[in-house]
Amino acid sequence: MPDCSNPLWPCAMTGAAACMAGFEGMGVIIHGSSGCYFYPATLLHTLLHSTFISEEDVIFGSEKRIVETIDELSPRYERLAVLLTCVPAVTGDDLKRMIGRDDVIIVDSPGFAGSFEEGYTRAVSQLPCITTGDVPGVNIDGLSLADPFCHGNAIEIERLLGKAGVRVATRFCLDRLDALGHCADNTVGANPDLQSGKGRYLGSMLGLDNIRQTVTELARYNPLDADAVCREADMAEERLAAACDKYLRRYEPPSVAVSGNFSYAVFAAGMIERYLDGAICTIASRNAVGPSPYNVVQTDDLDVITGLISSNDPDLVVGSSFERSVAPGCAFVGIIPPLRGQVRLRAQPLAGTEGALNFMEQVLNACIDRQKRK
Amino acid sequence: MNTSRTEGCTLTGALSVTTAVRDGVTVIHGPKGCAHHNFSLFHATRIDNECFSVPRIVSTGLLEDDIIFGGEEALEQTIRAVIQRRPASVYVLSTCVVETIGDDVRSVCEKIWDVPVLHIPTAGFLGGVFRTGYVNALMALSVLAKKTGDSPGVNLVGEKNLEFEVDQHFMEVSRLISLLGTDVHIRYVRDASTADIGRLGNASLNILREPALEPVGRHFESSFRTPWISSFPVGLYGTIRFLEETAEKLGAGSNAAVEEELKFQREMMERFSDLECRTVWFGEGFESSPGFPLVEELITELDMALDERGTSLTFPDPFPVGTAGISRLLHRWRRRCNA
Repeated sequence: MPDCSNPLWPCAMTGAAACMAGFEGMGVIIHGSSGCYFYPATLLHTLLHSTFISEEDVIFGSEKRIVETIDELSPRYERLAVLLTCVPAVTGDDLKRMIGRDDVIIVDSPGFAGSFEEGYTRAVSQLPCITTGDVPGVNIDGLSLADPFCHGNAIEIERLLGKAGVRVATRFCLDRLDALGHCADNTVGANPDLQSGKGRYLGSMLGLDNIRQTVTELARYNPLDADAVCREADMAEERLAAACDKYLRRYEPPSVAVSGNFSYAVFAAGMIERYLDGAICTIASRNAVGPSPYNVVQTDDLDVITGLISSNDPDLVVGSSFERSVAPGCAFVGIIPPLRGQVRLRAQPLAGTEGALNFMEQVLNACIDRQKRK
Repeated sequence: MNTSRTEGCTLTGALSVTTAVRDGVTVIHGPKGCAHHNFSLFHATRIDNECFSVPRIVSTGLLEDDIIFGGEEALEQTIRAVIQRRPASVYVLSTCVVETIGDDVRSVCEKIWDVPVLHIPTAGFLGGVFRTGYVNALMALSVLAKKTGDSPGVNLVGEKNLEFEVDQHFMEVSRLISLLGTDVHIRYVRDASTADIGRLGNASLNILREPALEPVGRHFESSFRTPWISSFPVGLYGTIRFLEETAEKLGAGSNAAVEEELKFQREMMERFSDLECRTVWFGEGFESSPGFPLVEELITELDMALDERGTSLTFPDPFPVGTAGISRLLHRWRRRCNA
């Protein structure tokens, strides 16, 4: 069926905005209406701009509008990026001609082009990256302002790389704009679903096994102390095992329904299964499904997810506050936006050793709270 | 740069009405993103209002091919699928991209369906702004109503479902009309069923949320012969005037209710007598705001002073409803003055 009940995942335009707005010094202009502007402006918690086009602009052309907006914003930013929404994409505005400047980045990112990841990827491909081959360090990619773990992941991966003796070159997409001028040859990821395609991708830092593999791989290209990171991962694993063992002495392992972007969902399922012997009854991915040991259903339809959860009657739901709304009796851990109805001030990671510990800490606390409520 | 074009999307305005029909489903004809943006907003707002149910919004999920070849078939299939889930009513909203490609949404909705399928004119930003969608939805849903009898109660028309204090305003209006011996017939539209909407025409009076809804009041007057007043009560004098006007439209006396409310207001204001002689300020240009007379009334009643060196307060916009709303506002003023 073409329809989708209560779609749960943002559109391509929002993905493009999440990429571009992650660079300090980049002015992001959403070429569209106020309706298209408000959602990314609230989701990304950052300053965005818009041409706020009206019906008149569609009929008579939006050239004046876009030029006026660019002229106003140019003095305030090092670069500008213009993101196309549905209507300008359909009316075929020739933005390159209208703007008449080569230094303004244009991203064709109408909502109907697909999901968040599609827009993010299109935007990343337009970034003016310079890789000279002699920049020391490593890039981090998979960072997105829409991700509740964006800042936490950046801090945590940088800490781990620092422990191994490697500096970070460019963070895609959470950095200063000038960092694009000195990208490194190698890249490690926070979220494999949002790979930048910049530099040689050596693996992700999501989950303890991936951390070990990625830093070991990185050691082939960069002089670094991979053992320091692997030792930390081993210690984290011991702490996880001890905490989960303690839980299992008192309680049965939880049955779990997981929703998320593909990589986060598979990470969450793997952690719960491995350390808590949890039964993964269903995994729903908001975006395209890749290879994994699990049977993952791709859906962003709330009715489908509600059906998956209710037919499996899980103890624990991992996902967003949408999932929490349809499973109010279950323990809940949030891994994807939106995470409404809770205060989140710290930069929490999901990647890195601290991310693994943070996730399982939340799982155990949520399960223990639910056991106490019984 | 002109930054005045920030009044929101017609879709959001219309959805603020249609998603408040608890047994209805809203179809958004457009790309999934438009539905997600709004669903996410409504989800957040409901959680803020401690309502954990989710609104029923279905997207036709248009992709590039539908944009090129037209999306009417996708709309028809979606309506058919939605009706299989047995809603009591279906509301179809169009987006700006659908308007641009020229889909004939109305004719699809006008086909013979098993339940009412109403087209709400929206068309994203091409149809106007948030308020346009909100007014259009209030107008469109009224085709479900017939005058089948007479109720002594009053309808509340156009409550702002995205407003944080929406239920506090409802309680205050309910309290005030109870002083006149009447009650609320239908909340049009907040947590109403399709059958509730069917009884819209039976009320004795429509109380509009704000004067911008006057076209809706006139439309219902011509459809159902229901008199109307143009706004929920705001301000001390405005609340008394509301009681008098409501009583007059209902053909009832207001003296006892007015006397009781004046006593209630005096007691409430006495609780804030410590604000007397306090100096406050509301920032640049507040004196030209349409709500200034309401603020000025409180400043005068409490013998406060306005001066830019005074305590900085946020200008109340929109002004809270009724005497209870003023009490909550003055608590916030006192908290700032004592901080």
